[in-house]
Amino acid sequence: MNSTLSVFLLLLVPGLPLLLAFPALHSRLRWPCHLALLPAVILLAVPAVVSVDLPWLLFGTGLGIDDVSRLLLGMSVVLWAVAATLLRAPTRQAADNFLTTFFLLTVAGNLGAILATDLVGFFAFSALMGYSFYGLLVVAGDAPARRAGRVYLGVMILADLALFEALLIAAAMTGDLGFETVRHVIGQSAASGLYLSMVLVGFAARAGIWPLHFWLPRLFASARPGVALLLGSVPIAIGLLGAVRWLPLGETAAPDLGLIMQGLGVAAMLYALLAGLIRAQLKLLPAYAAIIAMGLFVTALGAGLADPVAWNRYRNLAYLFIATLGVGLAVLVIVIGWLKAIPARQTDDSTPWLDRWPGAVMRCGGRMGFDVLPRLRASWRDKVGRFRPIPAWQRVLDRSERSLQRWSFAITLFLLLGILMAFVSASSWLF
Amino acid sequence: MNWDPGLLLLILASSLVPGLMIFFLPEERVVIRSSLNLAGGLLKLVLVGVMLWGVFHGHHYEIRLPLLPGLDLLLRADAESLLFVTLSAGLWLVTTVYAIGYLEGSPHRSRFFGFFSLCVTATIGVALAGNLLTFLLFYELLTLATYPLIVHRGTEVARQAGQTYLRYTIAGGALLLVGTVWLYGLAGTLEFTHGGFVAELVDTHRGALIVIFVLLIAGLGVKAALVPLHGWLPRAMVAPAPVSALLHAVAVVKAGAFGFVRVVDDVYGAGSAAHLGVMGPLAVLAAVTIIYGSLRALFQDDLKRRLAFSTVSQVSYIILGIAVAGPIATIGGLVHLVHQGVMKITLFFCAGNLAETLGIHKISEMNGVGRRMPWTMAAFTIGALGMIGVPPLAGFISKWYLGLGALEAGQDWVIIILAGSSLLNAGYFLPVLYAAWFKPPPDSWPAERSYGGRETAWALLAPPVVTALLTVLMGLLASAPFSPLQWARFITTQEYAP
Repeated sequence: MNSTLSVFLLLLVPGLPLLLAFPALHSRLRWPCHLALLPAVILLAVPAVVSVDLPWLLFGTGLGIDDVSRLLLGMSVVLWAVAATLLRAPTRQAADNFLTTFFLLTVAGNLGAILATDLVGFFAFSALMGYSFYGLLVVAGDAPARRAGRVYLGVMILADLALFEALLIAAAMTGDLGFETVRHVIGQSAASGLYLSMVLVGFAARAGIWPLHFWLPRLFASARPGVALLLGSVPIAIGLLGAVRWLPLGETAAPDLGLIMQGLGVAAMLYALLAGLIRAQLKLLPAYAAIIAMGLFVTALGAGLADPVAWNRYRNLAYLFIATLGVGLAVLVIVIGWLKAIPARQTDDSTPWLDRWPGAVMRCGGRMGFDVLPRLRASWRDKVGRFRPIPAWQRVLDRSERSLQRWSFAITLFLLLGILMAFVSASSWLF
Repeated sequence: MNWDPGLLLLILASSLVPGLMIFFLPEERVVIRSSLNLAGGLLKLVLVGVMLWGVFHGHHYEIRLPLLPGLDLLLRADAESLLFVTLSAGLWLVTTVYAIGYLEGSPHRSRFFGFFSLCVTATIGVALAGNLLTFLLFYELLTLATYPLIVHRGTEVARQAGQTYLRYTIAGGALLLVGTVWLYGLAGTLEFTHGGFVAELVDTHRGALIVIFVLLIAGLGVKAALVPLHGWLPRAMVAPAPVSALLHAVAVVKAGAFGFVRVVDDVYGAGSAAHLGVMGPLAVLAAVTIIYGSLRALFQDDLKRRLAFSTVSQVSYIILGIAVAGPIATIGGLVHLVHQGVMKITLFFCAGNLAETLGIHKISEMNGVGRRMPWTMAAFTIGALGMIGVPPLAGFISKWYLGLGALEAGQDWVIIILAGSSLLNAGYFLPVLYAAWFKPPPDSWPAERSYGGRETAWALLAPPVVTALLTVLMGLLASAPFSPLQWARFITTQEYAP
């Protein structure tokens, strides 16, 4: 009976927020966002390790809870409850309905990703979370938040493409996409380089790990506090969790890759320290704290890839780190909000000094009379500029399209292509 | 008593007879016309359900009517044909409901619904054709039945679009005819066979078979809107929204794409086609079409025109899956035949709703429309995200199998095409969604019509909501029995059986 109840609860954890995301339902309830968290709270109180296979869902997937996911689920539930309280209570206004819908969809994706037991489930839930979080950022934000949201969306699409590629590679290597199986098979495979690269790039972009961090300070600077406090537990925690679950940590020793990652981790920490000190904006403090913490995490991941035995010994610390990072960043956002020391001017130009040096060098050169660099840049811009404006491309495509819309031209062109194809096929057969 | 031949004829008759009767109905007999349409659609669905059950359990449905010495009019229901029949029958019913609402009060409805039913009859004939001759006959009937629908509005632009359509399709049909006759001369049969019927001729008539392949592909490529033969499709978007739905999702482009499946699988056989060396160029052509269509879609402000170029791109996924030539990629191609249909019809229904309710035709007029028409735009959002390939929607399942199939066949470059296309899909769909949901609405819409307190008429709203729901379910429940994915797997198991 307990087991049946637990399985039911497991399904309800992402299922209820999904259901309540319909405006027709949540607009009739007083506390829909809090109510959506109820199955997760009850599941946390059931001290059993349960899992459920869902063979009819997608390509066959599953959900499950163990000690690690329980810890992460607990952290997320607390943060979501705080965020739900800070954000406006829903009314029958359309804008509030949208806000609640995106909030609940993000909850469903976030909690589902934590409970996913395989790569496909994790990918699907985290995609739901990512796209809905974009909606949450934009619907609850002003113009700078919308601009930051667009950058985040672009990065997330590219990250999803990289992860989709990794998924295909994993599926081609093993039919079973459960975390354990994939870790084991990839760990034993000699051709896992592309998979590892795609996973690292994908999750680094999703979590905002240096040097793919550029969207993170923008979001921390522009999102309203109720949304900003979720940044630690939504993109960052799920990105880091994904990296841990998808990488063959503890299965294989990759000393070279491990060393590179450790180097990147240290560079990330140094960068964030420098950039944070130079910018010295209180509102950006959580962003640079996050980049430092993620740098530390990447260093640990690198060490784990280099030494599987050590990783197996200390792996639980990684999960603890992810959970506390989410809570820590949220606390930092709340404390900064309370201090009310944020400048009134909304800043959308969050490019730190370190990232602005090429422009500064150019300007400096121009002021000092070194004409070579500016001229070089101007000629380059002239050349590239000819191709850059979209209308020019459009004109080319329009012209080709007008030609193709003459049927005689189209059929002739196709048949010529066909003759060419026949010739190529015949010659490859003859020679 | 054997009911099988009767069942096949009944499936054709369920749309043909109502269609012929509707031609003779006066304009004002709305209830009878709608009842005939809906009864025909429902009956067809029931009959399709019976045949699906039968074929799944190994039953074969076939009817032969002698036409010429040695040549029969052959109708046959196998797993492959039923995939297309189910899609067409299901979407025909939904489109009929939509068309009833869309054309309410407009002139020439009897003519419209008459040809509409003929069009579906021809499509079902294309799907059930058991040989290339029968396929060709219904394929040409489809051309003739669709033309009056494209020019239905009677405007000069519509007439020109219709002429373009006729020129392309008749030229394509002629090439298909030449290829068919030549093939019959060589092989002495035109009957579709698992593994193809030209396998024994591959070594002796290699050159001729390659040229015939090009002719057949050119003929089919017109309707499938393969670049550079796609020019008619964006122009045909002047037709009413139900016709666009019919062209893009139910009948015309799907007939072309299904023809590719038949030619590669059941005329040449995937193995023989690969041996002839024609699959690589076909895959490249499909890839070029995918990217070109998406690039063109990026620059369109007219919503239906953007969707039309999106169709050019998306239909070639089916051809790419077939051309990659492996069991997994074939599953991807076949399942996309259904998924693309359901997703694209959702988008066209929504475009029609925006035009009919608010007078919106351009993307630049769509700011804030999500607040005015939330259900329509929610359906549009699901369709668009499905097209991009966002999990767990139907498009994700298609792209998954296409990508996996490409890896299995060792054609890794296809993954780059899929990734590039997904990026372009996001590039031309997400700005539309952003404008609709997040930009402030204007003070007034171009031509708003009132539907009481509702966002639009029920007959216009229900179809896109239903098809959007199907888009979600086809992705989410992809592994459930009788899902399109399972049926595509079933087909491929038979096709690649030793």
